[in-house]
Amino acid sequence: MEPMFTPALHRQRHQFVIDFVKRKKPKKVLDLGCCECVLLKQLKFHREIELLVGLDIDGVQIKKKMHGLAPISTDYLQPSYDQLRIELYQGSVTEKDSRLRGFDLVTSIELIEHLTLADVELFSEVVFGYLTPEAVIVSTPNSDFNPFLPGLVGFRHIDHKFEWTRAEFKSWAMKVCLQYGYGVELTGVGQAPPGQQEHAGFCSQIGVFHRLGGKERYNMFDEDAEDVFSYTLLYSIIYPSLHDNNILRRVLMCEVVYWAEKLKRRWIAEETGERDDTDDLCQAEGEGGECFRASERHVDTEETQTGEQRALKAACGAEMKTLVDQEEEDGELFWRHSKPDSDKWRRRVSVPLAVLWCCCPKVSVLSGSVSNLRLLLMDEPGVNLSQDGSAMLLNHQEQDLDDDDDEEEHRADLEDSPYAEARQCPPSAEPEEDWEANV
Amino acid sequence: MTGRARAKSRGRARGQETTAPGASLAQGEPAPPPDPGQLVGRGRQKGAPGPFSAEAVLQISAGFQQVKLGERGGRRRDFNDAGVNTRMAMEHVKESKSGTSGEAIRLSANFFRILSRPQWVLYQYHVDFNPPMEARRLRSALLFQHEETLGSARSFDGALLFLPKRLQNKETLLHSETRMGEKVQITVTLTNELPPTSPVCIQFYNIIFRRILRMLDMQQIGRNYYNPKDPLNIPQHRLTIWPGYTTTILQYESAIMLCTDVSHKVLRSETVLDFMVNLRQKTGDQRFSEICGKELIGLIVLTKYNNKTYRIDDIAWDHTPMNTFTKADKEVSFKDYYKSQYSLDIRDNNQVLLISNVKKMGSTQGPPPGPAMLIPELCFLTGLTDKMRADYTIMKDLDKHTKLEPQQRESRLNRFVASLHMNTDAQAELDKWGLSFDRELLKMTGRVLPGERIFQGSRSYDFNPMMAEWAKEMRGMPVISSPPIDKWFMFHTRRNVNEAMSLMQTLGKVSAPLGIRMQKAVMIEYDDQLESLLRALQHNVTPQTQMVVVVLASNRKDKYDSIKKYLCVDCPTPSQCVVARTLSKPQALMTIATKIALQMACKVGGELWSVEIPLKQLMIVGIDCYHDISAGRRSIGALVASLNQSMSRWYSKCVLQHKGQEIMDGLKMALCGALKDYMKFNNCLPSRIIVYRDGVGDGQLHSVVDYEVSQILDCIKSMGQDYVPKLTVVVVKKRISCRLFSLVTGKATNPPPGTVVDSVITRPEWYDFYIVSQHVRFGSVAPTHYNVVYDSSGLKPDHMQRLTYKLCHMYYNWQGIIRVPAPCQYAHKMAFLVGQSIHREPSMKLDDLLFYL
Repeated sequence: MEPMFTPALHRQRHQFVIDFVKRKKPKKVLDLGCCECVLLKQLKFHREIELLVGLDIDGVQIKKKMHGLAPISTDYLQPSYDQLRIELYQGSVTEKDSRLRGFDLVTSIELIEHLTLADVELFSEVVFGYLTPEAVIVSTPNSDFNPFLPGLVGFRHIDHKFEWTRAEFKSWAMKVCLQYGYGVELTGVGQAPPGQQEHAGFCSQIGVFHRLGGKERYNMFDEDAEDVFSYTLLYSIIYPSLHDNNILRRVLMCEVVYWAEKLKRRWIAEETGERDDTDDLCQAEGEGGECFRASERHVDTEETQTGEQRALKAACGAEMKTLVDQEEEDGELFWRHSKPDSDKWRRRVSVPLAVLWCCCPKVSVLSGSVSNLRLLLMDEPGVNLSQDGSAMLLNHQEQDLDDDDDEEEHRADLEDSPYAEARQCPPSAEPEEDWEANV
Repeated sequence: MTGRARAKSRGRARGQETTAPGASLAQGEPAPPPDPGQLVGRGRQKGAPGPFSAEAVLQISAGFQQVKLGERGGRRRDFNDAGVNTRMAMEHVKESKSGTSGEAIRLSANFFRILSRPQWVLYQYHVDFNPPMEARRLRSALLFQHEETLGSARSFDGALLFLPKRLQNKETLLHSETRMGEKVQITVTLTNELPPTSPVCIQFYNIIFRRILRMLDMQQIGRNYYNPKDPLNIPQHRLTIWPGYTTTILQYESAIMLCTDVSHKVLRSETVLDFMVNLRQKTGDQRFSEICGKELIGLIVLTKYNNKTYRIDDIAWDHTPMNTFTKADKEVSFKDYYKSQYSLDIRDNNQVLLISNVKKMGSTQGPPPGPAMLIPELCFLTGLTDKMRADYTIMKDLDKHTKLEPQQRESRLNRFVASLHMNTDAQAELDKWGLSFDRELLKMTGRVLPGERIFQGSRSYDFNPMMAEWAKEMRGMPVISSPPIDKWFMFHTRRNVNEAMSLMQTLGKVSAPLGIRMQKAVMIEYDDQLESLLRALQHNVTPQTQMVVVVLASNRKDKYDSIKKYLCVDCPTPSQCVVARTLSKPQALMTIATKIALQMACKVGGELWSVEIPLKQLMIVGIDCYHDISAGRRSIGALVASLNQSMSRWYSKCVLQHKGQEIMDGLKMALCGALKDYMKFNNCLPSRIIVYRDGVGDGQLHSVVDYEVSQILDCIKSMGQDYVPKLTVVVVKKRISCRLFSLVTGKATNPPPGTVVDSVITRPEWYDFYIVSQHVRFGSVAPTHYNVVYDSSGLKPDHMQRLTYKLCHMYYNWQGIIRVPAPCQYAHKMAFLVGQSIHREPSMKLDDLLFYL
C-alpha cells in the first residue's frame, strides 16, 4: 500500500511540535499521553528545554520505554552548559497535580479523542484552568477528512470515543479560550488531495493555544497553594551539565592538567633540544602559539570573530611565545624547582596560570578569569600551585622508555646482589614418572 | 536514524574475519532441518580420521542452527560458544574430566549462583500476519494489542514470540486493527517447548539481566555495561575510564550461574576531529592521511546522537558534511540532517567523513544497508590504540586506576550484587520472571599442582613456587647448551659509545658463568640516521655473522622496524636491539646484560633450561595470530613446534593471511614443515602431537572445531598413509572474565601459581580447565582457560593439566612461569614482530631459531 503521507502523519505531527519548540524556545515542556515517549525522545535533543515531562495513564508502557530517555554516553563525556531534567509520570489528564503547573508548553497529540466527552471537559479544566501553561498544542483527527482514507469505516482507531469535524473542534477550542483566557490558532498537518484542502481540511487538526493576559493569571494560582500530588513519578533523570559544580570542576581539571602537561613537554623538548616526532611535541617551533590557535581554529570557523577578539588571540599567542623565550633567557617563568628528595633529585616545572588561561580556549571559557581559575585549582587535591598561586607545579620526570622486550620486562628485577649460590641437586632425585604407561 | 548514506561502499569485504564458512547463523525463519553437507564448512572435511564421526560433527555443528535471541529482537553472535559440544566425542572424559595431583585449596570465584530460577517452560510461537505486515514495530504493536491474552511477560522479534505460558490452543487467532483502521488477522502457533536449561532460555536470562543493568542507570558500550556517573580521569592523556561489569549467565558444570567481573572502559574525552587536528600538527600534511588511517581504522567510536558504537572501517577523504544523501526521497546534507534531526551544529564544514560498514542485517527484502558515514566532530573514540598500548607511561597511569587487588575486586563484585538486591525496580523485574541470585561469591575447591624442578644440563634446582621465578636460583649456573658466539657485531652511535662499551664488558663478565662462550664483538659506529644505519648493516653483516647487537639512541619504532626487516628477511641473521637509555643505569647493568646474554644465546640456537616431561616422541605446537587492524586487516598466523624431547628447540613459522583465506590454510603448510623438521632432528615423526591454539575470539570456537581440526588432520595424513599419531587440540584463552580468589588467609588473595580448577565453573559440554600459572605483583591474577576440543590421545586429564603447567615454564625470555604454554607465547611474539615491524614472512633460514625473542 502506497503511504498516503510522506513523511508519515505521526512524524508530521511531531515535527509540528518540534518546529514550534525551535521557534518559541520553551524551557518547560509537558507531553500529555506520551505513550512510548517517541516525541520526548526527539525533544530531548533541543537543549533549550530545561525540564521535559511526560504523562501517560499507562505506566507499563512508560516503564518499558523510559530508559531510552536516559543521557547517552557522550552526554557524560562532554557535558554541555545546557541543563535538562526529564521526568515521567503515570496519571490521568483528568486529575490535577501541582507539580505540572506553570509550564511553557503542554502538548496533547492525538489524545483527547481517546477520552469520553465528559472527560474532555475535565481535561480542559485541568490543562487550561489548573496547569495554566503559556502554550498548548492539541491535535486530534479531523473527521471531515475521513472520506479520503481508503477503506475506513467508523473511526480511525478502535479506541476512539469520537472524531470531530473542523467545526466541532473549533467550537470546543473557542469555548476553552473563552472560559480560561486563551487565544487559539487552528491549523493541522496532512494535506488533503489537490483541490480538496478547502473542503476537507488537514487530516490531523491542530489547535495552538496561547494564554492571554500574561502574568496576572500566573499569580492567581499561588493563592490556592494546596499541593496536589495525584500522579506517580516513574522516572527522573538529570542530564550532566556544567552548571553542576562538581562536573564543572572535573572537566576543568581535565583540561588544565592536559594543557599543563602539554606545555611542560613542549618546554622540556625545547629545553633539551631534542626533537622527537614520535612524541606529542609540537613541531611548529617558529611560532609559539601556532598549535594552540590551530586547535581552536576548527571550533571557531563558523563564529565570526570581531577584529578585537582576533587581536586578543594573536596577542595571547605572541605572549606565549615570549613567555617561553623569556624562560630560555632567564629562567623566570618556567623554572625547575629542585630539591633533594631522598637520594634522587626531584625537579618540578612551573606553568604560569596566565599562560594556561590564554593558551587553552576551553580553560578560559570554563573558568572565566585567571583569578577564578586559581580559586578553583586551589582546592583541588591533585594540583600543586606555587606559593603565590600564580603557577602550577608539575613533576619533571623523565619518561622511562623500554627496549624491545615483552610485557614481562616490566617486572625485571633490578637489584644488584651478588650471584646467589644455586642449590644443586642431582638429576632424577625422584623416580621418573611415565605418563605413557598410564594411557 | 543513523544518517546512513547509501554511498558506494568503499570498505573492504570482511569475509574471513568472523567465522568459518558454513557456520551460518540461522536467519529470519526458524532453522530448517540441518543438512549435513552444509554444516561442515562447505564439505571441505574429507572424512577425517579420529573420534569425530560424521554424526558427532553433525551434532556439534547443529548447535549453531539453534535460534538465537537478541536483546532488541535481532539475532546476535553466540559470544559464549554455547552451541559447541565437544566433550561427548571424547570417550575418556565422558565420566570425569578432573585431575588428581596436588593439594586442595579453598577458593572463591566471581560467580553468583542463581538461587531460584523460573520453573516455567518457555513456549516458542510462530506469529503470522494476514495481510502480511512489513514493519517489525508495527507487527509488535499489533500483536501487543492483545495483552490480556498474551500477558505482560513476553519477547517478540517480529516472527518468533516467546511466552512463559502456554496458550490454550496450539493455534490462536487474534484480530487487531491498525491506526488506519485496517483489520489484521494474527495467527499465533505453538512451535516449541523449551525447558529451563535450554540455550534459548539461558539467553533469555541474559536478556532480562541486561534490562536490569539498564535500570541501574548503566550505559551499554559494546557488550558490557558501565557507570558513567563516577568516571576516573587521566587528563594528561585525555582518557576517561568508566567502571563497569561484564556479566554472563550460563550453564556451568554444576548449575546455571551468573559470572560477573569488574571491567573498565577506556574512553577519550576528545572528539575524533580534535584527534585528527592534533595529529595533523604532529605529522604535517604530507604524511597525515597515511598515519591518520593507520591510527583510526579499526577503532570504535561513540556518537553524540545515539547510543550505538561504530567501528571505523575507512576514511572518506573526498566527503565532507556538506555532501548529501537521500532521505525519504530527498537529498539532504549531513550538516542539515544533524541540525534538523538532533539540533547538532557541525562547525567544521571541511572535515572528512568516517566510514563504518554496518553489520546489522537490513530488512528481509532489499539490499543490506550501505556503510554509515560518520562526522568526526560528532564522534568520540573509545579504547586504546596499539600505539597507546606500547606507551609505557599511559599504561602505567591506566594500571593505577584499573588494577584492582583481589580484595578490592571482591568487594566491588559484592557491592554490585548488593545493589541489585537494593534496587526496587530491578528486584521487581527479577521477581516477575522468578529469578533470584545468591548474595555471596561462589566458594569451591581447587588444587595446587606440585612445583616443578628446573634442569640445566646435569644440574637441577627448585625455586619458590609462590614467586614463580628462578632468576636468582639460575645465577652462576651454566645453561644446557649454547653455541659459541664468535663472529658478531655491536652497532652504536657516537653518542652511545660508552653504553656500548660497558655493555660489551658486562656481557663478557656475565656470559662465562652462564656457560655462554662469547668472543669480543666488532664494534661499529653509525650515524644516527636510518639510512646510514642500514648502510652499516649492509656493509658488515655477512652470511657468516652469528649475531648483530644494535644499541639504539632512542626508542624510535621506524629504526627498529628497518633493522628487523633487513635482518629477518633480506639478510637472515639473529639480532638484538637495545635502547641506550636502558644501559645508562650502572646498578642495573648486570641484570640487563644477563638478560641480553640469555636472549642472544636463545637466538643463535642455545638451550637454557628444561623441565621433566614424561612423554616420549612428543611434539608440542603453539599457534597464535595477530590481527593488523590498520593495514587492510591482514592477519598473521604463527606456528611454533617443538623439535626435541626437552622442549628446548623450536621450529617457528609465520604466515601472512591472504584475502578470503582462513588462518589455518597457511598454517597447514607450516605444520607440514614442522613435521619434516622434527623428522630431521629425531629421525622419526612424533607419535603424539599436542596443539595449543591461542588467539581464538569469543564466538569463534566452532570454526576451530569444525574447520581447523580437520585441516590439522589433513596435514598429518599428507605425511604418509600409515602415519597416525595421537592428536590433541587445546584452545587457550587468556581474556576471560573468570577470576579466582584464594581463601587460605581468611581474606581474598591471589591463588598461588599452579592452581587448577576443573569443576563447578567449567562447562559441562566441554573438556576444559583453568590454570593459574603466573604470579602477579599487582592486581588480581587472571587464570587461563584451556579447552581440549579434540583428543585422540587418551591422555588422562590430570596429565593434560600438568603437561600444560609444565609448558608454562619453558619460555626462555622470562626466567619464570608465564600465563600460557611457552609455544603460545613464542607464537605470539613472532606474530607480533611480523605484524608490527616486518610485514613479510621471515626467511626460512631462521626457522629453527628463536630469532624473534
